[in-house]
Amino acid sequence: MEKLRDSSIIKALCYILIPILLLIFIASIFDVIITTEYGEINEDPSKTYIETESFGRNYIASIFSNVSYITQKKLDNAILYNSRYVQIEGNDIQNNIFYDDTTSYNSSVYDFVRYIIKDKETENIYTNIKSNDYYKEMEEIKNQEIYWNYADNNISTNIETINNDNARYIISSYYIADELDNFEIYSYLDKVAFNSSISFSVQQVVYNMFKENPNAPMYTIPISAILLIAIIIYLVWAIGHTKESSKIELNGIDKLSYEILSILVFFVIGILISIVIGSIESRMPQKISVSIFIVSYVGIYASSMLWFTTTIKRIKAKKFWHSFLVYKIYSFIKRLIKKSYNKITDKTDISKTVIVLYIAFLLVQAILFSLSGSFLETLLIIVFWIWVLFKLLEYTKKISNINEALKNIYEGNPNVHLNEEEQKGVLKQMSKYINDIAGGFTNAIEQSLKSERLKTELITNVSHDIKTPLTSIINYVDLLKKEEINNAKIEQYIAILDKKSQRLKKLIEDLVEASKVSSGNVKLNIENININELLKQTIGEFEDKFEKKNLKIDLELPNEDVIIQADSRYMYRIIENLFSNITKYAMEGTRVYIELKNINGIQIEMKNISKDKLNISSEELMQRFVRGDKSRYTEGSGLGLSIAKSLVELQGGEFLIEIDGDLFKVTIKW
Amino acid sequence: MYNILVVDDDKEIVNAIEIYLKTEGYNIIKAYNGKEALKLLSENEIHLVILDIMMPEKDGLETLEEIRKTKAVPVILLSAKSEDYDKISGLNTGADDYVTKPFNPLELIARVNSNIRRYVEFGNIKEKRNEKVLKSGQLEINDETKKVTVDGKEIKLTATEYNILKFLLQNKGKVYSIEQIYENVWNEESYAAENIIAVHIRHIREKIEINPKEPKYLKVIWGIGYKIEDI
Repeated sequence: MEKLRDSSIIKALCYILIPILLLIFIASIFDVIITTEYGEINEDPSKTYIETESFGRNYIASIFSNVSYITQKKLDNAILYNSRYVQIEGNDIQNNIFYDDTTSYNSSVYDFVRYIIKDKETENIYTNIKSNDYYKEMEEIKNQEIYWNYADNNISTNIETINNDNARYIISSYYIADELDNFEIYSYLDKVAFNSSISFSVQQVVYNMFKENPNAPMYTIPISAILLIAIIIYLVWAIGHTKESSKIELNGIDKLSYEILSILVFFVIGILISIVIGSIESRMPQKISVSIFIVSYVGIYASSMLWFTTTIKRIKAKKFWHSFLVYKIYSFIKRLIKKSYNKITDKTDISKTVIVLYIAFLLVQAILFSLSGSFLETLLIIVFWIWVLFKLLEYTKKISNINEALKNIYEGNPNVHLNEEEQKGVLKQMSKYINDIAGGFTNAIEQSLKSERLKTELITNVSHDIKTPLTSIINYVDLLKKEEINNAKIEQYIAILDKKSQRLKKLIEDLVEASKVSSGNVKLNIENININELLKQTIGEFEDKFEKKNLKIDLELPNEDVIIQADSRYMYRIIENLFSNITKYAMEGTRVYIELKNINGIQIEMKNISKDKLNISSEELMQRFVRGDKSRYTEGSGLGLSIAKSLVELQGGEFLIEIDGDLFKVTIKW
Repeated sequence: MYNILVVDDDKEIVNAIEIYLKTEGYNIIKAYNGKEALKLLSENEIHLVILDIMMPEKDGLETLEEIRKTKAVPVILLSAKSEDYDKISGLNTGADDYVTKPFNPLELIARVNSNIRRYVEFGNIKEKRNEKVLKSGQLEINDETKKVTVDGKEIKLTATEYNILKFLLQNKGKVYSIEQIYENVWNEESYAAENIIAVHIRHIREKIEINPKEPKYLKVIWGIGYKIEDI
């Protein structure tokens, strides 16, 4: 497809085909018109025409227009000065001879009629034939192929349609019947000129073209028309595309101003057309007029094609309007105004801009008012006012956009971007500053997220390195335990090693988890969780541990299911951590209250009595990991609460701890 | 006598594993990197491989890939990497089991036994077609004899535990809440007392699973219910 489009050979072929097809099309149309007008076309089309009544009428008319002209002049007693006749002198015959000088004014049948009109009264001879002996000429006219003579009330002719009665009837319409006896008329048809007249020439060409196949136009008209349309559509599609460049490139003539080029082209075409018409009217020899016609046809075709091609190219390159001289002038003036406006106004000093705009407003207003009066001017003023209001509103809209962006940043949402290109002057600068600030914030947030991620990665990697030696410690302590050592002290030491190495293991695991959770570096798998079920399940898991510490669980659940959207495993981790704390730190033999409420939001409450005195605030309890508090628990890592809090917050909940004397209370809210 | 190839760049860990597994009656072949392991594997008849992941020369996953090109021998990955992501990529590469460091020796032994039994003994026994036998993977219950086995080892369950397990196994792959299990097993409306189901389930897990905290068969879906994995 692209090859077809880019090929210059196909395009050249098209340019050659168009004029040929056009000629064939026009000739075919002619053929159809002539055939419907005159029936069949003959080899000698003029002969057919001569037999028509219309020809006869015209023939008579061409003679009697002269006769009536002469009669008129005679009646007026005017001498034939300032008329179409010129007197020829120096003939051996005594008659006055007047020569018709106007032969080339018309191009109708009239001009092919050669005549000699003799006024019997004055012996004057009126003619459009040049001759030395007019009497001899009168005699010999009878020998012409087509002649018409009138003398002594007698018509002698070989034209059927204007023989006698017929002719008299036509002549009578010239109101000169009385005068007719005063004239002798001799006339013949100049067959050579008549045949070479343009109409018959064309007819003859067309006849020769379709001589072999008279039905051909039935095919040639639609085929040439379709081909022409197809070629033009192809050209419209393909013009401008070349193998060398994927873009439509304008060069040479395409860069000329469009209206100047158009005027030039139509001027050339106009001249060529008038040359053709002139050559036809001046009745040059057929060969010369045909060659003039061909040259002009090629010229007209070439210039209109040039114009067509460059128009299409300009439209396709989207530079049609830009190539107008008017546009160039317009954009030059626009640039000039803009430049001087920018020079006067200052980006940092808004007051200057305002003053310039205000003066401009007043000026335009003054000009519009000075036009004064009519409906159109009043309308113009109103349009101007509306335009100014529209501009002001547009400006206000831009300012409120900037305000909106600032508000977003202020509220901690720095994902703001203002389109600087749409703005001008001070607003543009403001937009740029705001974009830079927003970008800075976004960067800072991204940086801190990245460093959190790196921290978590570091902790994870370090934990791998710690776990390997720890594996050996735990394993060999375990092996030691299995040895038979009959020494109570060593057994006690081993028990301590065992306990502490297990605690170290737990610490490392919690450390990794806490760092991941607190940096939000976890993937949540959200689904519908039934809290009733979760609490029952977890209590089931801890049942033996509670029993061991003799803790009584008082579970209070609402009758209906309480469903939240959360990650199943992390929800278990939260409850597990809290229960695990209870088994570690609750006073043995006390009651533990676990309550689920679903009034004004979902709420899980856990209350227990601490076995140790809680001389630490709830904030400190939860921030141990972050702050590296010195006080240590005997069991566990002390990270459980911190992990639980982070997990609750990650899933959109609220985690609260209350300490009231020995009462330890955890509340989770959604 | 089964041969177990233990591969870890930490000699003390290899030695400790050797001590534990020798008492179970296995013969241990030791390697300290992936290349060595592959060589030993081609020279000896090996029934199980314990493979560390982070090793010099050729790491555990690359070694595992090489092994899987030719051999179907069970491989237990042993690694300090404990992320879900690590476990999944290990199992996807072709490991049969995954144990994290520091490991519980008893758990490791149990997993070795289970894999060996499955590979050596069960691989040869033709499956008996029995309508009364319910199974998922290596967990089987025979409803005629009321016998429960995992990896061919008999498990003692109480009547309640047996009924719960049977119900879940009959509907393996489906998740049931505590209430649903109660209603189906006891055939009556549940009351507040039903949370003993959670306790029963924990007991079943402790009996049939090697590590009850990371169950293979009886999975806990927290806040939703329980199910037997359809393996």
